[in-house]
Amino acid sequence: MSVARIGDAPLPLRRRPMAPVIRGLLWAAIAFVVVNCLVSYVIDPQYGTPFITQPSVVLGWVAALIGWLLGIGGMENILLPSFGYQVPYVEVPGWRRYFAYSTNHKVIGIQYLVSSTGGFFIAGLAAMLMRLQLWEPHMWLFPYPGQYIETVGIHGTIMMFSVGTVALVGGLGNYLIPMMVGSNSSAFPRISALSVWLVPAGILTVILSPLLGQWTTGWRGYEPLGLNDPNGILFYYLGVFALTVSSLMVSLNLTATILFKRTKGLTWNRLPMYAWGILTVSLLNIIWLPEIDMTFVLGLLDRVVPLPFFTAVGSPLTYLEMFWLFGHPEVYIIVVPAFAIWMEIMPVMSKKPLFAREWGIIGLIFVMMLSGFVWAHHMFTNMRLTEMLPFSFFTEMISIPTGFTYMVVIGTIWRSRFKVTVPSLLVLMSMFNFLIGGMTGVFLADPVINLQLHDTFFVVAHFHFTIIGGMVFTWLAAMYYWLPKFSGRLYNPKLGIIGAIWVFIGFDGAFSLMFIQGLRGMNRWVPVYPQYLQGMNIVISIFAFILGLGFLFNLLHIVWALKSGKKVRENPWEAKTLEWSTASPPAEESFAAAPLVTGSFYDYDDGGATSLPVPGPLPM
Amino acid sequence: MVELLVFGVLWVVFSILGELGVSAWGHNFYYYTASTQAIDGLNASVFLFRFLTPIFVFVVLMLIYIPLRGRRRSPESVVRGKGARFNAAYVTIWVTLSLAINLLFFLHPTTSAAEAIFQQMSPQATSHDLVIDVTARQWEWYFSYPQYGIKNALNANGNNVLYLPVGRPVEFVLRSFDPNHPYALGLDVIHSFWIPAFGEKMDVIPGETRYMVATPTKITSTETNPMVRVQCAEVCGPGHPYMYSTVHVVSGSAFTQWVKQQVKAGN
Repeated sequence: MSVARIGDAPLPLRRRPMAPVIRGLLWAAIAFVVVNCLVSYVIDPQYGTPFITQPSVVLGWVAALIGWLLGIGGMENILLPSFGYQVPYVEVPGWRRYFAYSTNHKVIGIQYLVSSTGGFFIAGLAAMLMRLQLWEPHMWLFPYPGQYIETVGIHGTIMMFSVGTVALVGGLGNYLIPMMVGSNSSAFPRISALSVWLVPAGILTVILSPLLGQWTTGWRGYEPLGLNDPNGILFYYLGVFALTVSSLMVSLNLTATILFKRTKGLTWNRLPMYAWGILTVSLLNIIWLPEIDMTFVLGLLDRVVPLPFFTAVGSPLTYLEMFWLFGHPEVYIIVVPAFAIWMEIMPVMSKKPLFAREWGIIGLIFVMMLSGFVWAHHMFTNMRLTEMLPFSFFTEMISIPTGFTYMVVIGTIWRSRFKVTVPSLLVLMSMFNFLIGGMTGVFLADPVINLQLHDTFFVVAHFHFTIIGGMVFTWLAAMYYWLPKFSGRLYNPKLGIIGAIWVFIGFDGAFSLMFIQGLRGMNRWVPVYPQYLQGMNIVISIFAFILGLGFLFNLLHIVWALKSGKKVRENPWEAKTLEWSTASPPAEESFAAAPLVTGSFYDYDDGGATSLPVPGPLPM
Repeated sequence: MVELLVFGVLWVVFSILGELGVSAWGHNFYYYTASTQAIDGLNASVFLFRFLTPIFVFVVLMLIYIPLRGRRRSPESVVRGKGARFNAAYVTIWVTLSLAINLLFFLHPTTSAAEAIFQQMSPQATSHDLVIDVTARQWEWYFSYPQYGIKNALNANGNNVLYLPVGRPVEFVLRSFDPNHPYALGLDVIHSFWIPAFGEKMDVIPGETRYMVATPTKITSTETNPMVRVQCAEVCGPGHPYMYSTVHVVSGSAFTQWVKQQVKAGN
């Protein structure tokens, strides 16, 4: 038996510290049980002393979220240091670092991308269940219609808040933006290090919402329906709150990064297009996310206290206005980074300067500004007639700055030796699909036509063409384009082309038929529909399953390529933006010395020859 | 220059084909129209199709033509220098045209058609619209005809039913509450009153009264075409898909007879 004496070196810790994710989950569970019991049994016991009450689950969830964030690493890295305790920061080695608190922007980017991908496939599975139910015109897969509508809500909520607004901003933005502006770190690395862990928490909250009861409002949480539904809507508010706060924190960080961490010589006139995209989208996030969070807090209080804000004696329309005031900028939050990626990839693939760059930036900025003027076109069926016209005006006008992106890209690829590669093919597909989304938007912007098309499958097809067509296709393009950066490896060109065509056929087949289905009188949120609509619904479902498998195929291909694709040289596309001047994959510190920018990133007057020809195979 | 010419010819040819397609199929856009409002919307849509077709053809052709052409291009024919970064004519035409087309769309069909609808929806001192009180509750439509003393129109099976005389403007007065529980203010939610064949819908909001005007143009019914049905279009809870009613548009005399029958039945 050994006895420790005074003066001995302290005994080494015998057991390894607990894995951060496990510790986070454990602390979250303990915090939830403690606070929940405190509220439901001591502070506010309700009739029959149920274990879970509305106030107890809300406060318990807040405690669990704090426990999760502290357990994952916030304790040692944020809480204790802010009280003056110095805790040495231990970087977890190897693959484990992706499951821990990390201030490395590249690790955070990957963490965001993985969470988003998880959300995408979970919500995609929900979509597959919906399409399976719609195979028959009567209830057969889901026992009750409310469960179907709840599935629609979970699909929309997770897709919008954990994929649409996250993948290209929190994911690729965190990974690429510091490198693109020539910095080794983002401006506030600890903000992003923590915010990334709000995403899995938010997704999990939304998925667990059925435990509290059905909610049938869809992703918009319309009042007073949210108030009348069972309690699942609580986890909708809370989950979305976690996800939007995550996006808000990312935006603060990336805005500061672009403003203050630019390397020498990187003037505003030389800032890469993707940085412009992230800057505009971050400003949108900073303006509108607090607004919607406040609305959801009101909705939550409305239910838990309860208050009558949004009932017949209050104003249901106020909720709608507040929701769409955020809700339309939201769709631009989703596609603006995609526009920027088009303008990033296409000059590289054409080996020609970016055409009319200023107009591309003007387009991004005007889309950002006008997006706050158009919200009520979601509400033409519930507003006074005289209020429609200004919103109709701005909705039609926003197509002009959006069109500038097309003008710039077409001008760039015109009379160039354009190379069809997997990324550039996907950008072309994305532009085609977003064009259909935009053109059908002209019909929806017209009040008289909108009164017929609103709340039908026409609208479902329209916004899927803008979001999947615009953002998800571009996300795929970006993953293939920056894959050599992530891993130093390349995808298989044949499999890449097959994957792109596969999702294109599945997507355009399914959603173009939905336009027709909407015009034939198919309304939204219905698991049961008149018999005459069944035939086309079956065809749509088949295309939807093809699409789902296509996304799975691309996922497997990308994961395979990251691990064991063919090795390529450092800068296979011969791109000139700064992230390509680092090693692939980048070292812990991207740049050994701060780079100096002396010219445009999109200048190909030399015919595309890089200054340092590196040996190695060229990608297709 | 040759390249521009080739592209121009392709663009004109495909645009003409597109316009022929609009002429041939454009009027099917609404599938089935049974009110003047639906016909207004259809005409507006066809007008938009006319102008959007060449724009659509232009962009899609660019997205296909450039990659195909780029594969076989010689390095000498690539645009270099200043012209690769900016082309004043191209940008000016693009910006001017997109502004002009959007302003045109705003004037017509947006404002013109909206004005027509405003006109129809404004109270007319001289007209004798049929007024129907529509009450939406979770999950049912009630129709009452105050001018005829029908409190709750029902068919032989006891289901809610909507009868309309052809050619006469109808003013639907829309409210959302539960007539069986009028004291429960928080009880009802937003619904949306939609008859697909009439080409319009209006949300029914608790605590507010909304109006929708329609003029049926042909004798038809849900049995003839399922697009002639009242369908709730705004999600309103688990019963949302079941919230529909049958509609019958009948001749004036048949309508009078139906009213008599309803009154006799004490509905």
